[in-house]
Amino acid sequence: MLLSPLTLKCESVIHFYHVTKRFDQYSTALHDITFHIEKGEFVFLTGASGAGKSTLLKLILRQMQPTEGQVVVGGRNLKAMKRSHLPAFRREIGMVFQDFKLIERMTVFENLSFILTVLGLPPKEHKKRAYGALRAVSLHHKMNSYPLQLSGGEQQRVAIARALINDPLVIVADEPTGNLDPDLTQEIIQIFNEANLRGSTVLIATHDRELIEQSGRRVITLDHGRITDEKAPVTQRAPRVEPLFGIGG
Amino acid sequence: MPPRDERLPSNTFSYFFREASRRMWVSKRTSFVAIAMIAISLLIVGGFLLVAENLGRAVAQAEGKSRVNIYLDIDATPQQTAAVDAWLASHSDFTDRRFVSKQVALARFKQYFANLSNIAGQLDENPFPASFECDVNPNVAQSPRFAAQAAELRAISGVEQVQFDWEWVETLRKLIRLVNLAGLVAGGVLAVAAAFTIANVIRLTMMLYREEIAIMRLVGATERMIRGPFLVEGLLQGLIGAALSIVLLLAAFLAGRHFLAPRNSLLWGFLFNGFLPWQKLLSLLAGGMLAGYLGSWISVRESGEEV
Repeated sequence: MLLSPLTLKCESVIHFYHVTKRFDQYSTALHDITFHIEKGEFVFLTGASGAGKSTLLKLILRQMQPTEGQVVVGGRNLKAMKRSHLPAFRREIGMVFQDFKLIERMTVFENLSFILTVLGLPPKEHKKRAYGALRAVSLHHKMNSYPLQLSGGEQQRVAIARALINDPLVIVADEPTGNLDPDLTQEIIQIFNEANLRGSTVLIATHDRELIEQSGRRVITLDHGRITDEKAPVTQRAPRVEPLFGIGG
Repeated sequence: MPPRDERLPSNTFSYFFREASRRMWVSKRTSFVAIAMIAISLLIVGGFLLVAENLGRAVAQAEGKSRVNIYLDIDATPQQTAAVDAWLASHSDFTDRRFVSKQVALARFKQYFANLSNIAGQLDENPFPASFECDVNPNVAQSPRFAAQAAELRAISGVEQVQFDWEWVETLRKLIRLVNLAGLVAGGVLAVAAAFTIANVIRLTMMLYREEIAIMRLVGATERMIRGPFLVEGLLQGLIGAALSIVLLLAAFLAGRHFLAPRNSLLWGFLFNGFLPWQKLLSLLAGGMLAGYLGSWISVRESGEEV
């Protein structure tokens, strides 16, 4: 059964409706998950390893389809979405992968430039925009380095710059601070905060309890594929600000 | 018109060419195999085309003239020769009458078949008959009236044979059709083989880049954007292979003309008369590009898409 648009809250950007993801009869990653994230929200997704966080993020990017239930992102029901519409949908999601997924044979600049090519921006604008995005993660001096010449933390920041370069509708990050020291972690969270202030909805999956507690944001806790806890935010959302890299969403 | 999401950004084609060239450079050896296969296939096709082209030129030359050769008996008397000459003079359809003596016939043989001139020199007596050569209007040549005149001519004492150019022209035409057909069949089979070689090369390249392709899909690249460089790679391999085949064919043609063909030799003169016209060279290039594109299209189509 497809989800009726009338059942959605109009401000929902991410909506999971009784979602179950089963890999085989013995392995169920998510059990009947229902939640929604409103436009402009900043949400942490937490839970132990194997709790189902990565599976949930993959469902948002439609890297996989749910076994049961519906996933609606940006008003699009992902189960009903045509394959030809998938690239445009993914261009609206800024995804930071746990394993970075940088193209190794390309320099840092080329990794970002490729996204801009995909977005159809003229080559003469690539350098300016890539520089702006890399400056935001303090890596503008590494434009011509290759990913394998960078540390894990630096690769993480390049992946974040790539995800944010387009001021996407939704930013989804899988353990984005996993390889970073505490100072850099705060710096990166600040970048996500700024993206959130510019209007992007942010969903971060992390183990870092301290980071979650300091943020005062909404927290969804998963355990063995079920939502076991949901904490409301303790801070108010700030007003919208202008794009950081001079790029419209 | 493709859906909005599938339309390509304006700078994409330069990206395709850049990526395709880079990938070919990275996989030099496999690319070389694909290019060599295309080059060999088109070299064979080009070789057949070249032979057919030059035979065609010979036919075109002969058709314009419509010549009749009247060969006399080897021991024809001067009176018989004079009678034939008088008969030809009295029939206006046989124009530009020329007498070819036995000595001139032998000299021509030595000139046209230079390799065999020694053998001809060793003979005790001249085996070539004297003859008359006449030009005939091509429109008249195949009329019933002319056939009747030819029959009358054959009946004159001392006439051994009346031979028309258009008979061997027709034989030559059949030969050209055969050469063209053989070229097409051999070239077609080889071109298909070359296309599959390119398909395998592209398949290997796609395997090499499978992680990168997965990343491209995750960041929102369209299938056209992902597949474009592979298609262009096949196209480029085909184009380079075809260009290489033309260079090799030209080199072989020039070398053949220089080393094989003695001046004035009839056979070699025919075969090395001229190179392929630009239209056929363009067809070879287009054929190479088509085979390359087809090969890469096969692999790209097989590669499928994700969920």
